[in-house]
Amino acid sequence: MDGEALEASEIMRRYCAGEQAAFHQLYTLLAPRILAYLWGLIGEKPAAEDLLQHTFLKVHEARASYVVGANPIPWIYTIAHRTCLDEMRRRKRSRVRLTRDGTLAAEPAADITGAAADARADAEGELATAAMAALEHLPGNQREALILTKVHGRSHAEAAMITGTTPGAIKLRAHRAYVTLRQLMARPREKKLA
Amino acid sequence: MNAKDDDLPAPADMPPIAGQLDGPAPPPDPALLRAVGGMGAVRTRGRFGAFAAVLAAGLVGPLLLLALRPLRHDLAALSPALLVLDGALWLAACAAALAVALVPARGDVLPSAGRASRVGLWVIGALAVFYLLPTLDTPGASALAPDGAGPLLRSCLRCIGVLLPIAVVSLIAGALVLRRVLPMGARRIGIALGAAGGAMGGLALLFHCPIAGRAHLVLGHVGGVALAALVGALLLPVLLARSAR
Repeated sequence: MDGEALEASEIMRRYCAGEQAAFHQLYTLLAPRILAYLWGLIGEKPAAEDLLQHTFLKVHEARASYVVGANPIPWIYTIAHRTCLDEMRRRKRSRVRLTRDGTLAAEPAADITGAAADARADAEGELATAAMAALEHLPGNQREALILTKVHGRSHAEAAMITGTTPGAIKLRAHRAYVTLRQLMARPREKKLA
Repeated sequence: MNAKDDDLPAPADMPPIAGQLDGPAPPPDPALLRAVGGMGAVRTRGRFGAFAAVLAAGLVGPLLLLALRPLRHDLAALSPALLVLDGALWLAACAAALAVALVPARGDVLPSAGRASRVGLWVIGALAVFYLLPTLDTPGASALAPDGAGPLLRSCLRCIGVLLPIAVVSLIAGALVLRRVLPMGARRIGIALGAAGGAMGGLALLFHCPIAGRAHLVLGHVGGVALAALVGALLLPVLLARSAR
């Protein structure tokens, strides 16, 4: 385990021992990246923020299932992934999506990292915009694999555990995502050159 | 990013997005804080606790079968060495499939779904290969495999009918211990859990079913394990989804 995993493991041990401060430490350590991951999967920041709270509530309820000494980070990612899939299934079933106050939700464009579309354009320019637009065209399982391995730095084994598949499948999906992404990003520039 | 995994060439145009992972997250909401506020210490899980619990629950079925129904009539005439080897094979198959389904690797919280399905299928394959080679029969003592497709199928269905309920007990016990762990890949884990339960049923049949012959053993006993794995793949996601609600 690397330093971060050891730190998370120690925090989780104290959390399971009933230390409230350890929960806040765990939240501070992991909430930003879990939010980014959820935002990347679901594509809306408000929904991702709701799912983040659900994820940590599930972690809290399932903390007795933690194995002391293990790295809790892939497990928490897995819970986030499952929570997000449940929400996506629920949305598929429901015909209209409403916000908490009963109005229709706006669907702002977002990218896998959680940067808002308008801020993104300013910060990273045309190229980044093209990359993010291309990411949205990837199939869901390829996008997951790419986000987990290339953006969040999870190993193939961890990404496989998070998504419930094999490391080989993750490697293949990430590779396909890369190839597709490169092709999608090359097209606008080829058009410009022509 | 992990250097060891980064064996794909990075596209030169990939924007510097990894740094954005450290952006701010909203604070925990009141419901979450309320839940955390009243918390106490919890007893955490051991790596082998679920394995031991499901193994114990799963053994109830075979023990009941052996206690309540007659043992095979040719048991005394069978070669003890072959009987022990056969029993050890079924037990090893059960333990291997159950371990991959429920025991996380050192340093992990969750069992690996990919490894579970791979080992579950290997177990079925190994059992099939074993029974295609020798069979535990004693000329004159063991019952012969019935002639004809119909009688053979009926004898296989009888054994599968004994094996499947034993497998389902393990499957339900597995679902109960997995429901709080929230793993992904329940279908893959279900394959291993079903194969483990099926192997437990196969172990019971070893002492119960007197029919010798490759066709019956491969179709009725190993086929039953394969069927149990299929049932596991179909049933475990449903059981876990229901318990998560």
